[in-house]
Amino acid sequence: MQNINLHNYQDFLLRYIDEELDLRETEALLAFVAAHPAIGEELESLQSTKLDIESITCPSKSLLYKNIFPVIVEPTTIVYQNKQKLFKKEKEKAPVILLKWWAMGAAAVFIFIVARYGMFNGEAGGGLSKNSSSKNIAQKNSVVKAETSTASNATKSNAVVTSESLASTNIVSKQQNITTNPLRNSGLGDVVYHAIQNASTVTVSETARAIPSYNGSIIDVKPTVIAEITTAPIALNQAAETPEPNEIIETLDTEAASSNRSVMVGAFEIDKDKFRGLFRRANALFKNKENNKNEK
Amino acid sequence: MTEKDYNESVLLYADNVYRFIVKNLRHTEDAEDIVQSAFEKLWIHKDSVEPKKAKSYLFTVAYHLLIDHTRKAKRISLQESFENDTQTAYQENKALKKVLHDALATLNETQRSLVLLKDYEGYSYEEIGEITKLTTDQVRVYLHRARLKLRNYLISPQQVL
Repeated sequence: MQNINLHNYQDFLLRYIDEELDLRETEALLAFVAAHPAIGEELESLQSTKLDIESITCPSKSLLYKNIFPVIVEPTTIVYQNKQKLFKKEKEKAPVILLKWWAMGAAAVFIFIVARYGMFNGEAGGGLSKNSSSKNIAQKNSVVKAETSTASNATKSNAVVTSESLASTNIVSKQQNITTNPLRNSGLGDVVYHAIQNASTVTVSETARAIPSYNGSIIDVKPTVIAEITTAPIALNQAAETPEPNEIIETLDTEAASSNRSVMVGAFEIDKDKFRGLFRRANALFKNKENNKNEK
Repeated sequence: MTEKDYNESVLLYADNVYRFIVKNLRHTEDAEDIVQSAFEKLWIHKDSVEPKKAKSYLFTVAYHLLIDHTRKAKRISLQESFENDTQTAYQENKALKKVLHDALATLNETQRSLVLLKDYEGYSYEEIGEITKLTTDQVRVYLHRARLKLRNYLISPQQVL
């Protein structure tokens, strides 16, 4: 440490004011000042040059921050003149009527009942009678045996056909079986039957006469088909001589036909023809409504 | 330096830098401009400035901006500007302080800056040398000269009367 004397004391005073002296130098200076009162007055005058700390706030301090304070945009009063032209009116839409759940459920139940139990059975029966044709041949379950009598000119045989299916019965007649085969098998080759092909006819007088009835939980389906088979006289003059042939006239199909017309939806069997009728009716209703709207 | 460090520097040092500049210039609006420029420079170079050295960096930038500003406005006396511009004049409340600041105005830019950095900010000679790009001995010598000049101003017969 440098010794403090009258030649260098001012430098120590200035460094003391600037707080640049260490502890030892400070103690040595204060001791020197105490020993020299004139130097003490000089120290006070130098201390008066030291600035007091002032608290001055920067006016634009808030502008210095980055990304903390949001930029406040003052609202402007600019008015767009053509504002009225921008307004638009939405076109009126057709009212949508929402079905309630119970209405939808009722409709579903109604459709189910119609599909399952055939409420339109009468109409459907007509359709079935029309659809029953000679397409299905030689089936297993139902066989109609017609007994023809050669002795009489015209015999009528009623065949009762029972079927498990509700749908229908197909009556098929094979004229060849009626005419030739039994006679040939009987060994009566001399007998000639000329008019058998034209004479034997099979007509269906009634199909599905019994309407299915719903008795609570039991469903009785009793379709009855009466096949009326008429055979014309084969040969009047030879009737007495010819034996009575046992002829297989026709076979009726019920199961295959019903399976072709029905569709299984889950555990339910739905008839295609009934649904076609429903769709036709619905289509007709919609067309009528459209026509009414167009007329209006 | 992160954005958070920068904003913390604004919080801590903006007033100090402003005080340093406004005491030098005695012009509030110019001081604000310089402070904003200093912080803008800090923001630009924030990736290369450590948070611990943000204060000295700010004072260094502000000091050099101050020097540039006074050189550009060299033809106009700071004293005249202070006396004529009443709107931007720094307000002094106490008479003694006013005399002292008048004495401060008699110093040159370097001496005034050294006094302000020393008294207001408490920087050491070395730190002031880093800010002002002077050596430690230069800082010490210039600062001592400034002190003596201030003292002579204060004890002059005009001020005493």
